Amino acid sequence: MAGEGDLRTSAKESEDDLPILNAENLQSNIKSVYYSRTFLSIIGGVVAGIWGFTGLTGFVFYFLVMAVASLGLAAKAKFSVNKYFDSWNRILIDGVFGGLMSFVLSWAFAYDIVHIF
Amino acid sequence: MAEDLVLDRAIRDWVLIPLSVVMVLIGFLRYFVSKLMRSYQTPDRKVLKEGQVVLRARNLRVAAGFIPTKSFWSRRVYFTNEENGLLHVPKEQAQNPQAQMFSDPNMAMDMMKKNISMIVPQTLTFTWVNFFFSGFVAAKIPFPLTHRFRGMLQNGIDLSTVDVSYVSGRSWYFLNLFGLRGLFSLILGEENATDDAQRMMQMGGFGFDPTKSLSAEKDSLDIIQHEWILPKMEKRAEDVLKKLLK
Repeated sequence: MAGEGDLRTSAKESEDDLPILNAENLQSNIKSVYYSRTFLSIIGGVVAGIWGFTGLTGFVFYFLVMAVASLGLAAKAKFSVNKYFDSWNRILIDGVFGGLMSFVLSWAFAYDIVHIF
Repeated sequence: MAEDLVLDRAIRDWVLIPLSVVMVLIGFLRYFVSKLMRSYQTPDRKVLKEGQVVLRARNLRVAAGFIPTKSFWSRRVYFTNEENGLLHVPKEQAQNPQAQMFSDPNMAMDMMKKNISMIVPQTLTFTWVNFFFSGFVAAKIPFPLTHRFRGMLQNGIDLSTVDVSYVSGRSWYFLNLFGLRGLFSLILGEENATDDAQRMMQMGGFGFDPTKSLSAEKDSLDIIQHEWILPKMEKRAEDVLKKLLK
């Protein structure tokens, strides 16, 4: 599982009055979020194809999968996002549209192989 | 209009899968070739020095609260002093890096190599796809698109009654092109040369960086209001200990 099981490295120093973020750890966290999303897009695409979603249903499924992923990531960060990232956007919104193309590819692939083969 | 076409199984075997496999393999090949061909240029001493100075200045700025006020000021003067401060760059030098970047043979060669390794496989594959895989329906994409996409997606198929979802080999190629980017980033790590747009943007900012970042650091150092956090530490220690003892 690309990055889902990785231990999150805390990005923030223990001082509360100096909000410093450790850049390296922040980078690594963002990377693991990106990997998780890409992996999930591909898997989600295969599932959508096998299940036979067509048209809008498929896209709705994709955004559903992304939302579940966001929830999972937020839970993994113990809902205290400031400790691991610099803003909420990083785990909620980043990478959602990047994964869309991979989703569409694997969706089309699986759909074809299963339903038109 | 939307009849279900029955497509030959052989199309799957000999078109979809080989095309995807070939594109994945070409991606791997390109990655390894670019790694091998990367001429290791010895870093320019001056640029390296400037980079390190910027780093030091940045550390000073970020950790300003940890040192007493007088020491911070003396360090700041060392950096921003008008005569021989490290960050102060005389105006004439500011023009140089631009010219340097374009006339520097090494960097130009590097950029050219990267461009070539990006464009050539794409062009070749596209030609190959057009030659072999045109003129028939290759796949069905699971979502409907409007009729205007017909020209783009069904380049060899000249029947206008066929549903737009049934696409030809060329569109399968494009779908793969965009979709495999994510896969490559998973498999090859971040150091893959498939994201050309990103690369070009990075390359563009290279030569101008040193002087601009020097003056940016100087300005940000000048702006800082220094506040020593040691007096606050006692209170903080007291709070922490109180919490522990509770």
